[in-house]
Amino acid sequence: MSLSEFLVQRWPEIVELSLEHIGLVLVSIGLAVALAVPLGFAVTRIPWLARPVLGFSGVVQTVPSLALFGLLLPLPLIGGLGNRTAILALVLYALLPILRNTVTGVRSVDPAILDAADGMGMTDWQRLTLVEAPLALPTIFAGIRIATVVGVGLVTIAAAVGAGGLGSFIFRGLAMLDTRLLLVGAIPSALLALAADGLLAVAERRLAAATGTG
Amino acid sequence: MSGASIEFRRVSKAFGDRRVLREVSLEIRAGETCVLLGPSGCGKTTLLRLVNRLEEADSGEVLFAGREVARWDPVALRRRIGYAIQSVGLFPHLPVRANVELVPRLLGWTRERRRARAIEMLRLVGLDPEDVGRRKPHQLSGGQRQRVGVARALAADPEALLLDEPFGAVDPIARGRLQSEFRSLSRRLGMTVLFVTHDVREAFRLADRIAVVAEGVIQQVAPPAKLRSAPASGIVEALVRGAETEPAP
Repeated sequence: MSLSEFLVQRWPEIVELSLEHIGLVLVSIGLAVALAVPLGFAVTRIPWLARPVLGFSGVVQTVPSLALFGLLLPLPLIGGLGNRTAILALVLYALLPILRNTVTGVRSVDPAILDAADGMGMTDWQRLTLVEAPLALPTIFAGIRIATVVGVGLVTIAAAVGAGGLGSFIFRGLAMLDTRLLLVGAIPSALLALAADGLLAVAERRLAAATGTG
Repeated sequence: MSGASIEFRRVSKAFGDRRVLREVSLEIRAGETCVLLGPSGCGKTTLLRLVNRLEEADSGEVLFAGREVARWDPVALRRRIGYAIQSVGLFPHLPVRANVELVPRLLGWTRERRRARAIEMLRLVGLDPEDVGRRKPHQLSGGQRQRVGVARALAADPEALLLDEPFGAVDPIARGRLQSEFRSLSRRLGMTVLFVTHDVREAFRLADRIAVVAEGVIQQVAPPAKLRSAPASGIVEALVRGAETEPAP
């Protein structure tokens, strides 16, 4: 059976696992954004938070992904085989790029603009919501883009702890020494990463233009 | 709304080892335009920023409307004082009109009132509210941006205006026009104006009184004519004479 025939035969499964793959990425990136962006804003307000928060998310990055999945498996409540462990690991990995870009984005706002904001009598909250957050948005988005692209790749490994997604093909292919299965998992996953990168790049450029920072 | 008085009482301020202000005392009457004139780095900008508490004095007192600024809530204080700086600091993500509407928005004015005021203010500084008002700040020239900065500072009927070289990037011809318009405007509105510049000609054109600042000390406070006829020190005399030998624009 050629690869193309194999593709046709496995098509329904490819679609299903791709959707599952996308779902895992969306959920974990969504959670990471909900966590990392407010935390990043907090870091810019409370200086002593910077070291522990950025330090922790940096250390997580240095743990090899397979090892992280393994480490989380035996944990009560959050661990175990399945989605939850995978999502937790993905969220942890996505934290650093989003956090760091949020902090960088806020910190790189032109001091003259902040001076004007303070001078006109904005409260700290108004300065954050009306000035700093909108101006940091393109940078924050760049962090989300990095996290998403990395996340698409990581989800393939999450199949090792039974999370599903296109990684299932890859692990089955490895186990059965079947190159076609491997490719059927790897190629759509790579395409997904490219598509996500392209889409988010466009969104990022639009944001930069809208905020006058591009 | 009429102006509020501003007063400095033996104010000192240092940044690290550098003493920028040494026991400065100065009283600006309600409705008066006082220009702080001096070379760059003389402490005039710091003096200005003490009024709206962007800086805090090390010792001495600063009073706004007869009350020590340290006892004002900084946010409430700043909303009663218009503030415009040379680098302007327009918000790049907002159109020009939204920039001008910001302080009224913070004060909770209705949308219609805000909009009307922004249009009025942009006209006042000589900008077309329909055309320029819809643009983003990065689409404007340096001079146009500075005018928007002044319009923004004026928008919420402030009792006092703090202006730090607000016309520095405007070309000389437009600057002259802007200065005379600003002069009549501040008189008409009765606002107290504290205006920082290193441009002697500008100081003479705008001021009721000029305070010459050098080396962290006020050298002389006097109306422009008096400054010319009776300079109190060599520094003042050199400064004023420099202006007279400058070629006309």
